Amino acid sequence: MDWSALHVSLTLAVLTTLALLPVGLALARWLAVTAWAGRPVVEALLLLPLLLPPTVIGFYFLVAFGQGSALGAWLAASGIRLVFTLEGLLLVSVLVNLPFMVQPIQRAFAAVPHSLREAAWVSGLSTWQTFWRIELPLAWPGLLAGMALTVAHTLGEFGVVLMVGGNIEGETRTLSVSLYDKVQGMDLQSAHVMALALVGISLLALSLVLAFDRVGQRGRALQER
Amino acid sequence: MQGLQVQLRSASPIRLEAEFDCGAGELVALVGPSGSGKTSMLRAIAGLWTPADVQGHIRVAGQAWLDTALGVQLSPQERRAGLVFQHYALFPHMTAKANVALAAGPGWSDADVQTLLGRLGLAELSERRPSQLSGGQQQRVALARALVRVMPRPTAGDVTAPQVLPGVLLLDEPFSAVDSPTRQTLYRELAALRQKVSVPMVLVTHDLAEARRLADRVVIVDAGQTLQTGEPARVFASPRNARVAELVGIQNHFEGRFLKGEGGWGRLRWTDVASSDHGLDLAVFDKNKIDDGTLVTWVLNGEQVDVMADGELPSTTEPGYTRLRCQLLEVLSLGEITLCTLKPEALPSQTITLNLTSRLLRRLQVGAGGWVQLLIAPGALHIMPVRTK
Repeated sequence: MDWSALHVSLTLAVLTTLALLPVGLALARWLAVTAWAGRPVVEALLLLPLLLPPTVIGFYFLVAFGQGSALGAWLAASGIRLVFTLEGLLLVSVLVNLPFMVQPIQRAFAAVPHSLREAAWVSGLSTWQTFWRIELPLAWPGLLAGMALTVAHTLGEFGVVLMVGGNIEGETRTLSVSLYDKVQGMDLQSAHVMALALVGISLLALSLVLAFDRVGQRGRALQER
Repeated sequence: MQGLQVQLRSASPIRLEAEFDCGAGELVALVGPSGSGKTSMLRAIAGLWTPADVQGHIRVAGQAWLDTALGVQLSPQERRAGLVFQHYALFPHMTAKANVALAAGPGWSDADVQTLLGRLGLAELSERRPSQLSGGQQQRVALARALVRVMPRPTAGDVTAPQVLPGVLLLDEPFSAVDSPTRQTLYRELAALRQKVSVPMVLVTHDLAEARRLADRVVIVDAGQTLQTGEPARVFASPRNARVAELVGIQNHFEGRFLKGEGGWGRLRWTDVASSDHGLDLAVFDKNKIDDGTLVTWVLNGEQVDVMADGELPSTTEPGYTRLRCQLLEVLSLGEITLCTLKPEALPSQTITLNLTSRLLRRLQVGAGGWVQLLIAPGALHIMPVRTK
């Protein structure tokens, strides 16, 4: 078992989730209620990482932040290196995980009946109070589902990690990359252990997602009665 | 100035021409078919819907909630409107008590909220969530949540005199989602509530019987317009125009032409179609409001029509009574009441519908196909000029 790779994987998963949560929450709440005509375009952009091969995203990331680009050169001059670092990996991980975080949260907010917002307003609650006391408590299963999906997907990410992060032990070598290494090195015993660990973690995360989704559906059913 | 005054005008997104008021402690029902705009009017009072081009005002107890002339528009939070939503819109993740406490002002303590819930028969249920309550119980929680917005802090002991409060209570079809026995109970509770709190109450309903039973006054709404306001009995007996008559479901609604006479009397020529000249004449009062020859629609109030046996002479000799020989086309016994359809001999294309007591028909010894005489008092005829719009 490559413990340092497990550590990198878990660190990346937790940091990605924490960084993405406020961004995803704001985007999801906005998309759930906005009547703006450009909404489908924003939604399509957010879903794009689901369809594109990870290598495409990794490639553009390298083009944008590599030493050859003006941005990369300027960042390097400021002492910030994003290629082949955990920071860079974190940035690209946030990007590719946007749909996994935003989708369930958006669905959860959209399922809150508008009449509940109105009931809160006529009860004297400000828009902000309505969000904290009514909408968020009702949408929390969606938030948990989004977080669990993000963790699971980050752990399973391979192509984009290899392209952007490379394979640096203790820095960017995640469990999935390490597994690839072990198979290449014919160390099938270690590969089995790590593959099993990834299966276990993903299964747990997905079970949580489904459980939260069920809670969310029950909540919605109650509101519609 | 106490009570609620509403005057709104807008052209889009829907046409709106609303004008009505509601005194403190009065219950006014906005009645109209679905899509007529009555719920929009209620939402406008609560501040949940304000058309961009709206002109007019909404005033409550002298305070302007909306006044386009002065540029005043309060937010829903600033208006003291207790709104009971059609499907209650209770917060599903909160207990009954928390739902009410959320809307309570700073003067309300936990015990005050519990007292209010107790008054509505919810004392034992205050810790339950909406999903654990029946439809009628949910409705009472919604009512409590609305009341808490317009009531001052409940004082110790029972309130004897109705209190005057600076808010409005708005009820959006609140009885539509509960079964009939529960509805009867809630009707009684609403009546009891009105003894205790004195705020303007506006009820939106499409149910005429409900409006008639609960409201002090009804406002007939159609296509975004308030057509007529008045006491239920008055509006039902004297609809302002044909559309109102149609909306309040009046039977015996006919067409004709008004002909002026002398000495305060005129004639109503009942015709097959409005433009026809052929018809039968009925004596009516001439109040000098309608010009000679005007096309009119008119309503016969069945409660002021006497039925006699064919050939019997009338006991009254008062002027203005019209005798009309009719054939019974259909006789439908509904227990105490018998629904009869009659065809006037002189105008066989028309039919009159009357609710007669079954006893009367037994006494007259007539059935379907038989003949009777109708004695029509001039007051039974309500005449309206044809609506030209």
